[in-house]
Amino acid sequence: MLLVARDVVVAYGGVRAVNGVSVDLAPAASLGLIGPNGAGKSSFLGALGGQVPLTGGSIELEGYEIGDLPAFKRARRGITRTFQMTSEFARMTVFENLITAGHGATGASLRNVVLRRSETRQAERDVATLAWAILDRFEMSHVADLYGAELSGGQRRLVEIMRCLMREPKVLLLDEPMVGVAPHLVEKLITDLRSIRDDGIALVIVEHALEVVQELCSRVVVMALGRPIAAGSFDEVVADPAVQAAYVG
Amino acid sequence: MTAWSYYIATLTVYFGVNVLSALSLNLQFGFAGVVNFGYIIFQAVGAYIAAVVVLGPSSGTFQQYVFGARLPFGVALLLATAAGAVLSLLIGLFSLRNIRRDYQAAILLIISLIGTQVVQGYVPLFNGSNGITGVPRPLSALPLNLQQYQWAYAGWVLLAAGIVYAVVTWLSRSAWGRALRATRDQEDAAAAIGLNVTALRLQVFVIGGAVAGLSGGLLVEYIGAWSPDAWGYAETFVIFTALFVGGIGNYRGAVLGVLLVPIIFLEVPRFLPQVGYPGLMDSVEWIAIGAAWMLCLYFRPQGIVPERRNRARRGEAAPHAAPVRERVGAA
Repeated sequence: MLLVARDVVVAYGGVRAVNGVSVDLAPAASLGLIGPNGAGKSSFLGALGGQVPLTGGSIELEGYEIGDLPAFKRARRGITRTFQMTSEFARMTVFENLITAGHGATGASLRNVVLRRSETRQAERDVATLAWAILDRFEMSHVADLYGAELSGGQRRLVEIMRCLMREPKVLLLDEPMVGVAPHLVEKLITDLRSIRDDGIALVIVEHALEVVQELCSRVVVMALGRPIAAGSFDEVVADPAVQAAYVG
Repeated sequence: MTAWSYYIATLTVYFGVNVLSALSLNLQFGFAGVVNFGYIIFQAVGAYIAAVVVLGPSSGTFQQYVFGARLPFGVALLLATAAGAVLSLLIGLFSLRNIRRDYQAAILLIISLIGTQVVQGYVPLFNGSNGITGVPRPLSALPLNLQQYQWAYAGWVLLAAGIVYAVVTWLSRSAWGRALRATRDQEDAAAAIGLNVTALRLQVFVIGGAVAGLSGGLLVEYIGAWSPDAWGYAETFVIFTALFVGGIGNYRGAVLGVLLVPIIFLEVPRFLPQVGYPGLMDSVEWIAIGAAWMLCLYFRPQGIVPERRNRARRGEAAPHAAPVRERVGAA
């Protein structure tokens, strides 16, 4: 298994937002997390990505415990993510957004920039080549010089996703990737995400739009009040009476 | 004529010192988003250290201070730079950790106020409110008359400012500078792509602190004295106003802002007729600076010279800053 999360607990004060959730993820898997508002989906994603501290349980990436690592160290090990509110670097161009992510663990460090100048220059060239390849792949080369703040909602999502790909991740966490995306672009974004998955990157997707989950996710976990209440294929979980009860209230 | 020459030379020294301050704050705030409202104490520590290490051992009667020594002025400047860096490291280690940025700014402002109180209250440190005087002029052995010396010193300060300008510009354009801008724009996303936000902030804080210490050392060697009056917390806000007026996130804007705000707003009123009660014009200066900041935020938040767009070219490693002549339409 690529990613193994066991009995994950996230507590804010006395409130257990996530209360014992476990998932396994193989390479190129796509896991959907669904559930009503307040189910703890985003908190669970934050626990995997390192944005939210783990109160209990364990998270292993390729057999290595990462549950107590800060977010940037998890990213260096291969877990990266997008955010519910788009998180493009607003006062940097799209191209800069991408190349900033491309320098590997310590490539952009002050020490390398000052002391290893020729290696850094070579790394800059490699990163630029990779960035152009990714921009071409997602048909975004024409906006390379636009600032993050000048993009449409759908383009911002793509910038976030492309930026994650610059890190060549093993796991990509997506928190409501379709929010703010114009309806006619949703289909393109689904196709793009499918092609990313087919590259061998495992996806974990929190999404309210169930048709997106149905299209993309081979396996779905339904959460309610911090607990998993059902797991299986999309068709299996939506047929589950417990899931229907949770959604209807 | 001589009086004018003296005045202009002094203004030039202050301009150079303020440019150093603006470069430091622009690196910290414009590129990394670190709101260093305590900036002035890092300049002050540089000035005090540069003063005490050339004054000789403290006599304990005329004035008291720590670290008294009689070192060459070049060494004193290096120690001033190091003092700014070390103080930044110590303060940065606890103030820049996992705290919201507005809280960090508040902490740094409070540290600045505490710093003034400590130096005023604890006289053996740097002679309290009276401050330190009699700092010998560097290179006084040179065969220059006073006027020539003033201009030589002004040239030396401008040279130092020019070198620092080149270094911070180069650093800001590097991959490291880009990482700083990413942490400025979106902290969580920067961490999620593997950037160590706390380390980057601490690095930029220490580099900025070193520049601040150097600026203090250069200033104290010129004016020969340093007291808590010289480094009130409000001095920090003059430089911040200069940055906002000139344009944040680029160094040409920072230099322009320094030319406009501290020089024009603080010097022009000297030539206006004094009206009202004594001290009214001084207060008006501060009102004008505050108003300039607010008007700038309201009408032109990007400043006179906005941050430049770095255009990407296929086959080039990193995009270079190029002036934006036309606005790129959203695709």
